[in-house]
Amino acid sequence: MDQPPLSVEPLLTMTGIAKHFGGVMAVQDVDLTLGRGEVVAIVGDNGAGKSTLIKVLTGVHVPDEGVITLEGRQVSITSKRASQALGIEAVYQDLGLVDTLDAAGNVFLGHELKRYILGIPFLRNARMAEEAARVLKENVGIELEDITVPTHNLSGGQRQAVAIARAIYNTDLKILVMDEPTAALGPEETRNTLKLMRRLKDQGISLIVISHNLDHVFAVADRVMVMRGGRVAATLDCKSSTKQDVLAHIIAATDGNVAA
Amino acid sequence: MAIAASASVGRANRRREVPWIERYINILGPLVMILTLCLVMAFADPRFFRVQNIMIILQDASIYMVLAMGMTLVITGRGIDLSIGSVAALAAVVMAMLIKDVGVNVYVAMLIAVLVGLACGFMNGFVITKLRVPDLIATLSMDLVFRGFALVLAAGVVLARFPDPLVWLGRGRVFEVVPVAAIVGITVLVIGFVIYRYTPLGRYAVAIGGNTEAAVLTGIDVTRHKMFQYMLMGGLAGLAGVMLTGRLNAIQATAGMGLTLHTIAAVVVGGTTLFGGRGSMAGSLVGVLLLSMVVNALVLLRLDFFWQQVAAGVIIITSVAFYAALQDPGKGGVSGLVRRLGGGAR
Repeated sequence: MDQPPLSVEPLLTMTGIAKHFGGVMAVQDVDLTLGRGEVVAIVGDNGAGKSTLIKVLTGVHVPDEGVITLEGRQVSITSKRASQALGIEAVYQDLGLVDTLDAAGNVFLGHELKRYILGIPFLRNARMAEEAARVLKENVGIELEDITVPTHNLSGGQRQAVAIARAIYNTDLKILVMDEPTAALGPEETRNTLKLMRRLKDQGISLIVISHNLDHVFAVADRVMVMRGGRVAATLDCKSSTKQDVLAHIIAATDGNVAA
Repeated sequence: MAIAASASVGRANRRREVPWIERYINILGPLVMILTLCLVMAFADPRFFRVQNIMIILQDASIYMVLAMGMTLVITGRGIDLSIGSVAALAAVVMAMLIKDVGVNVYVAMLIAVLVGLACGFMNGFVITKLRVPDLIATLSMDLVFRGFALVLAAGVVLARFPDPLVWLGRGRVFEVVPVAAIVGITVLVIGFVIYRYTPLGRYAVAIGGNTEAAVLTGIDVTRHKMFQYMLMGGLAGLAGVMLTGRLNAIQATAGMGLTLHTIAAVVVGGTTLFGGRGSMAGSLVGVLLLSMVVNALVLLRLDFFWQQVAAGVIIITSVAFYAALQDPGKGGVSGLVRRLGGGAR
């Protein structure tokens, strides 16, 4: 497959990734490289294997074949915990929020701040509320009027901000995976999200973004990887290609090296 | 109105201020009903308010308080436990036989009853998490299993007259006023409140019930926490069995038949939703008290015992409808409910 020149040192490489469910090949022979502070968009039709690929990276699915290296070392990502420990976090399409919990409860979900009294873990709710407000303000650029309301009372953009705050609260965040980050947002909130993505990139965090919206892809991504039928159809540099090029690959317009 | 203006108005509306009342929304319905009941009883039978009668209500409520604590956690985690009545009976029968037939020390026997409950809860949790049987079917089936064991063990015998400590727990009074059982019940609910609000166990019950997939994705061990919830529920059911035996100073294998649904009713009345993810220990306390107050009022008014069933059903529906109406801002909250009730009564 084609290797576009990388301007930055590769942070992550995924090589020859394959995953099947029963008889169905979800992804097959997929290669992906990601540089430090680079934004790679993955596009493709429904069922092209995008979600499966990122779930392999985030430890939800264990690949049947393939090698993943992070910072030059081969890693095995067998669980969500393992991927988090490596600095990989994901914000999913449904945001993965527990909407009956407040923002702080969601930001800290799974790694709550605790204080042990007689060996019994107690939640430090006040401290978590403070910290969540700080992270939301400083890293995500959003201030909630009331941090204690359940997140189902928040707007789509605010909820996404909470989901992202949760991902970046992981202090050693290297790679953030975003699945359809702008799909459920209005125009203003979409602009804020794109701004936020550039902000994360400036902080040296690498992003993998799944999106159907090529305008948004070209607004933030450095490279676009097109997937079709579980394989990589093409990887294009955003600066030297157009939306039409990407579209052509998505809909499988005649292209010699695709079928191989 | 100009289009641009209306767009910004829409945005402002959506970010509406959360009224203070929403924090107490779950107990508002049952509280209103408690007040109504008090008002009715003030005219119908003032004996309702005597200290002695209030203590009887608390005594009756105590077992449900213990059970409601576990049930609140289980239901918040999007589960349900239909086996608690049988677990209580089995634990009580085992304890009673150890005391009467084997001569085991009463404190040890009480502890064993709780452990029997824990073991039953463990089995429930195992069937649900490992054998992947849905909570409702698993505990419904295990209800039969536990009840069957209790019946086999007791072989139709009623065991009665137990040592003092057990009877004291069931019907004793501190300072000859406050029921010991009520102190136990309230203590258990307070512990439940702390667990729910201030420990990972409560937090993860909310997470699992609110969005199981998200809980899994954040690395929460759902199996472990569901096991814990059902084991806690089982242990508390064992304790309830002990308290029931003490109160009656007798036990038989068919005891505690009505405990399960009464407990679930109280918890649901208290604003814990059967869809999971949202619950309240304080609400469960209010729910338990409301149901016990109604039962007591019906007894005072010499209404037939069986009217209790009707009353319980009506109360559940009223609370949940109240709750649903309050949660729906499109219908205007409390004032909207009043308007609609007024319209309906026309």
